[in-house]
Amino acid sequence: MKKNKRVLNGAIAGMALSVALSASAQAGSLTIASPQDPGSWDPIDTFLVNWASVATNIFDGLTYRGPDLELVPGLATEWEELDDGTRIRFTLREGVTFHNGEPFNAEAVKFTFDRLLGEEGGQGPQRSNYTAIESVEVIDDYTVDFHLNEPDPVLLTKLAGYGAMIVPPEYLTEYGDEHFNTHPVGTGPFKVVEYNPREDVQLEAFADHWGGAPKLDEVTYRFISEPSTAVAELQAGRVDIVIPPTIPIGMIDTINNHDGASIVSVASPTVEAIRFNTQSGITADERVRKAMIMAVDRQAIIDSILAGEGEMIASFQGAQSFGNDPDMEPLPYDPQQARELLDEAGVEQGATVQIDVRGNDATFGEVAQVVASYLQGVGITASIQPYETNVLLNDIIPAGRTGEMFQQKWGGWTFDFDNTAYLMYHTGERWNPYDSDAELDEMLEAQRSITDQEERETLLQAIAQYTQDRALEMPLYSINALYGVSDRVENFEPAPDNRMRLTNVDVSE
Amino acid sequence: MVIAVTLIVSFAIRLTGDPAVMLAQGAGSITEADLERIREALGLNQSFLAQYIGFLRGLVVGDFGRSFMGGTPVSDLIGRALPATLALAFASLFVSIVVSIPLGIKAAVSRGRWPDQMIRIFSLIGLSFPNFWLAIMLVLLLSITFNLLPPSGMEGFSSFIMPAATMGIILTATNVRLVRTTMLDTLRSQYIMVARAKGLSNTVVLYKHALRNCSIPLITYFGLQFGGLLGGIVVVERVFNWPGLGTLAFEAVSARDYPVLQGVITVLSLMIISINLLVDIAYGLVDPRVRKE
Repeated sequence: MKKNKRVLNGAIAGMALSVALSASAQAGSLTIASPQDPGSWDPIDTFLVNWASVATNIFDGLTYRGPDLELVPGLATEWEELDDGTRIRFTLREGVTFHNGEPFNAEAVKFTFDRLLGEEGGQGPQRSNYTAIESVEVIDDYTVDFHLNEPDPVLLTKLAGYGAMIVPPEYLTEYGDEHFNTHPVGTGPFKVVEYNPREDVQLEAFADHWGGAPKLDEVTYRFISEPSTAVAELQAGRVDIVIPPTIPIGMIDTINNHDGASIVSVASPTVEAIRFNTQSGITADERVRKAMIMAVDRQAIIDSILAGEGEMIASFQGAQSFGNDPDMEPLPYDPQQARELLDEAGVEQGATVQIDVRGNDATFGEVAQVVASYLQGVGITASIQPYETNVLLNDIIPAGRTGEMFQQKWGGWTFDFDNTAYLMYHTGERWNPYDSDAELDEMLEAQRSITDQEERETLLQAIAQYTQDRALEMPLYSINALYGVSDRVENFEPAPDNRMRLTNVDVSE
Repeated sequence: MVIAVTLIVSFAIRLTGDPAVMLAQGAGSITEADLERIREALGLNQSFLAQYIGFLRGLVVGDFGRSFMGGTPVSDLIGRALPATLALAFASLFVSIVVSIPLGIKAAVSRGRWPDQMIRIFSLIGLSFPNFWLAIMLVLLLSITFNLLPPSGMEGFSSFIMPAATMGIILTATNVRLVRTTMLDTLRSQYIMVARAKGLSNTVVLYKHALRNCSIPLITYFGLQFGGLLGGIVVVERVFNWPGLGTLAFEAVSARDYPVLQGVITVLSLMIISINLLVDIAYGLVDPRVRKE
């Protein structure tokens, strides 16, 4: 009898499943290929962009920043900076619940930040981003005060993502951190229904979301690390969107030539430069550095090797970055003047330099080859030294053991030049093994304590100009984020930072 | 042996980079103090010896530790991946045995004539394929052009066809030659002549008398091959996004996820040891002489 019952249960479950499947087919399900499984969905555990691309659908922050990069209210409806920017008062959205039914309120905000800044957060990489926050004080159910150690001009942006995602206190207290890693609960437009580590994570629409019910019913993120496999799935129609960073430049045509899918690109925060050893070798001379920049036709590199999916940059930031001055021009391509500058600096024909690159970055390998041939044109012989990426990033660059030049790829989701500039140019920073410039240090420190955004922007632009005047690096380009998108996807808007919220996305049958 | 292998692997991967830095990549203003905290949480502040002894201690009670990426227990990850890899490995071996034995025998019997030549040429072509190339070609043809099979993932029988065929074809290429050579030797034996003289049919002679006597070297070889197969599967798993040990190991290396890599290597070494044991047992099954000793 018992056995029969089990069979019966199985049959019922099977029927339910088939009903569920047919229902989902009617009302829209979307499959996305993502290159990496972050392993944990807890906001304080990771700093991976592919965590964020999923998690932006599961969680909300106090502020929200969509594809247009405008900062708008999220779980906070308004905020006010007080006490010279050392206190921010947030008014919270009422009537919001977490996926498990738990109410969102001031206590949840306090709990989230106590956790992030406490012991649990200390074990992960997120805390360092929010150390400006000293404490969070509950004023009433829907008002909180953030007390800051020092003004942080980027804090409101940081509250729109990553470690600042609001988590449910009761759920976490009851089930613990470990359970939360694999069974996350937030207030976002989709809730997690199933997570298979290293395979996929399945989301279901959360109709009660404060921003309105999503149009899709189900979303599945499949983890596919091999680009050609992800593209094959897109071509076979089994994946609807391939998110960055997956698709290499070389596959753009493959997708565009395929019926039923195309590439959608958008300027991303990722920039590349070849930086100089400003301490020793011929690159210690500012004139030599300028000459090398002018010797390279960067636009030609973008057109040929990047298939146009990039934009020239004048400093080490993209056009959307706060602190980028649209009127600032890159140093021109001028081999004649480059030769004169080299003569003036007394560099002999056939002088050698070494460019250190990431060995697994095929596109940049080509870029470096082209750069080397342009340098050859002005009489400098460049050799290219590939390193395993981690070795280059962890051992070679921070220890100042690079050649005269080295590849630096940089992104940052805040789109604020502060993050880049401080880490690249301030004396003693990990990414700045060679240079020490008191004037630059002072400017970098000054902009951090200014809360007036206009004033800060001017200062950041001055910093950018200063780095160009000293030719601290050869700025190459900002790269576009490439999405492979099936024709059945509707209302798709590519997110520059890869944090693509799917509320308005729909599919046609 | 397990200790030797894991010791080398654990030591080598620690030379390649700091997982704390990997975790913090993209974190803007990460300081050395932050990194130190992360290392401490991962247990990386201890000496290598202490870490390794900790790993061995866990191993004794079946605890492989936790992944650095999100803290999932390694045993859970391996528990998911191992069946997928084993299923694919056996499917590939099965394909190869089912194809190579009849072809090898056919080649041996028609030695020097055209079926033999054809089979040898095909085997040469099969041997010259890099397996990832073959895999990509199969995907292009069967998934994209004809849309018959899923290009990746593990979703039932249809998902097995391409990866098993990829691995199977390459194994078959070697195995056909092996079967052919062994068979040629055996066919020259006196007992085959006796069997033929008794008037037994060709099929009975080949498949009952000759094949059984060939099986000792074949089993030895297939057993050895299984070990190599588990290595080669890493590439094929990656192309087909197969949720197995290969994919797991590959991602663990990229992310400097020491516990996962150590766990996978331990399981693989254990498997290769047990396969060798099984091979020895199999000798006894097919050869009564071994059993008696």
